[in-house]
Amino acid sequence: MAFPTPALACWAGRFTPQVNLAPAALRLEISGSLRLFGGLPALLRLVREDLAALDLRAQLAVAATPLAALWLARSGDDVICPDLAATRAALAAVPLTALQLAPPLARRIEGFGLRRIGELLALPRASLGARLGKPFVIDLARALGEIADPQTCFVFPEHFEQGLELPAPVAAAPVLLFAAHRLVAALAGWLAARNSAVREIEWLIDHGHGVITAVPLAFSAPVYSVERIERVLKERLDALSLSSPALALRLCARQAQPREARSHALFDGGGQRQEALAELMDRLAARLGPQAVQGLACHADHRPELASRAISGKPAARPAANPGAGSAPLRPLWLVDPPEALREVRGRPQCGGELALAAGPERIETGWWDGGDARRDYFIAIDGAGRWLWIFRDPRPPGGWFLHGVFA
Amino acid sequence: MNPALAQVLERGDIRRGDAFAVAPAPTLASGFARLDAELPGGGWPRGALTELLAEHEGIGELGLLLPALAALTAAGQTVVLIAPPRAAHAPAWAAAGIRLEALRLVLPRRPRDALWAAVETLRCGGVAATLLWLDELFRRQLPANSLRRLQVAAGEGGGAAFCFRPAQLAAAASSAPLRLQLQPAGRQLRVQLLKRRGPPARQAILLDIARPADFSPRVSHVVAGAVLPDAADSRRRTRVAA
Repeated sequence: MAFPTPALACWAGRFTPQVNLAPAALRLEISGSLRLFGGLPALLRLVREDLAALDLRAQLAVAATPLAALWLARSGDDVICPDLAATRAALAAVPLTALQLAPPLARRIEGFGLRRIGELLALPRASLGARLGKPFVIDLARALGEIADPQTCFVFPEHFEQGLELPAPVAAAPVLLFAAHRLVAALAGWLAARNSAVREIEWLIDHGHGVITAVPLAFSAPVYSVERIERVLKERLDALSLSSPALALRLCARQAQPREARSHALFDGGGQRQEALAELMDRLAARLGPQAVQGLACHADHRPELASRAISGKPAARPAANPGAGSAPLRPLWLVDPPEALREVRGRPQCGGELALAAGPERIETGWWDGGDARRDYFIAIDGAGRWLWIFRDPRPPGGWFLHGVFA
Repeated sequence: MNPALAQVLERGDIRRGDAFAVAPAPTLASGFARLDAELPGGGWPRGALTELLAEHEGIGELGLLLPALAALTAAGQTVVLIAPPRAAHAPAWAAAGIRLEALRLVLPRRPRDALWAAVETLRCGGVAATLLWLDELFRRQLPANSLRRLQVAAGEGGGAAFCFRPAQLAAAASSAPLRLQLQPAGRQLRVQLLKRRGPPARQAILLDIARPADFSPRVSHVVAGAVLPDAADSRRRTRVAA
């Protein structure tokens, strides 16, 4: 295993909140997680898949005590002892080198001609304590589960901030996705251990010489899964061009919020639909820019150009000024903004031929208080091609006819 | 009827022996009885691309969809507009019965992004209907395989998909299973089914769509002058063009 880092401890939070970060090992207390993950084999399969995806090589062992797990992992890969009896049996075959004892102690034991823990345990325990020291005998008892062995747990920090150096400078932003995976996996583990979710994360791409590109990523709903975060990140990176090659990557999540209890709506696809929609909107905004994804809301203003507002992000559940059907005067679905000046022949407006006026005038006069003074006489007009248009005449000089909307 | 049973009967893969000879495709009532009678399955198709070829903008091309869209948004389902041709005017959409909080606008600037956004939106199971205006961004040079991609994406997502396209493309080959040509006809909208699954439609239908004024313009020269191609004829031409 690569030297375990806090980032790796965070990743392990995916499986259990009780993680111990030892100098060359990571220990996970999984007895409380077995049921959640569907049993030991399923959990181990996930661990191996994750490690492969993180491009990490590790020797895995499962044992009933922390120390036994550490010794077994050092002695070889894939030693699985689900209970204490199996653990004691497996320990007997562990070579004493796996204990990584202090050299003087190791030499003394070697002098006895002992190779494996089993041979050591065959000797009377009292004489072992006299010859090899009390601490060593206590360690043996801990490994065998004869006395308790409490571990210090890794403390998942209040704010997530982890970084990594890239093995080689990266010039194309999409390539960063591979390196980013380790940090996203760490973030997801951190979120799982704290049972929380995030709506905003920030990537810092370090170009060296103190040049840093900040890439914030916002989600329309709190997220916590690796896949969900990476799908949005991918679109953002695809649309990003780097000013200079990236040397390091950092991921920060400052505002995590408690995860909401999942609604188990088995027969209602509504929740799933909402989730799929939220993800789509996040990906569209990540790739096209946040301004390219809009909602629409009414605004109480008589000037048509101000009565409609684009809102970024998710529209409020029920905007304040949302007139019900039929209560408002007829307005066109499309607004021509700014209004287009129309040609006039003998005082009659033209738009691809002479316009027939179907309804009007509707006088709109407002805005003198904020400088956006408007006085207009609106008509509904139909042109020779059968288009229904919304036009107005400015009664004040210099006057003129304008096209302001299209009834589609 | 028992609501659970009604739900079961609405499923596309459940067939009632007494009602249909074949299981109906999942459709969306258009709100126009005469149109529903002509559309396979009795409404706008879900999970398939529908091409709307309007002679001009402003002839009522959106009015044709508004009843269906209003019903969707009223049920809390989402409608997405991709690359709309002009600024959407919120009061008008609200007055047409669209719940604005269920409406999303996507405004890509580059054609490539527009096509990507269209495919992703169509594929998303959370979108009930998508309206697309792609030809303008592509300067009327939409890549040949685009409609095929959109059709496949609509099949994956299962929502309704309406692609507004210039009427000049009526004779061009298309992979959309449903194609409608729209022409103004006074207060009404003349709808010609150029292509549908099933027997070709022979006659155009006239629909009373909502108009902003109680006014009947002279039947415009476009409609009066041109002889409408009958569907079989346009199919023949399509084959020649293909």
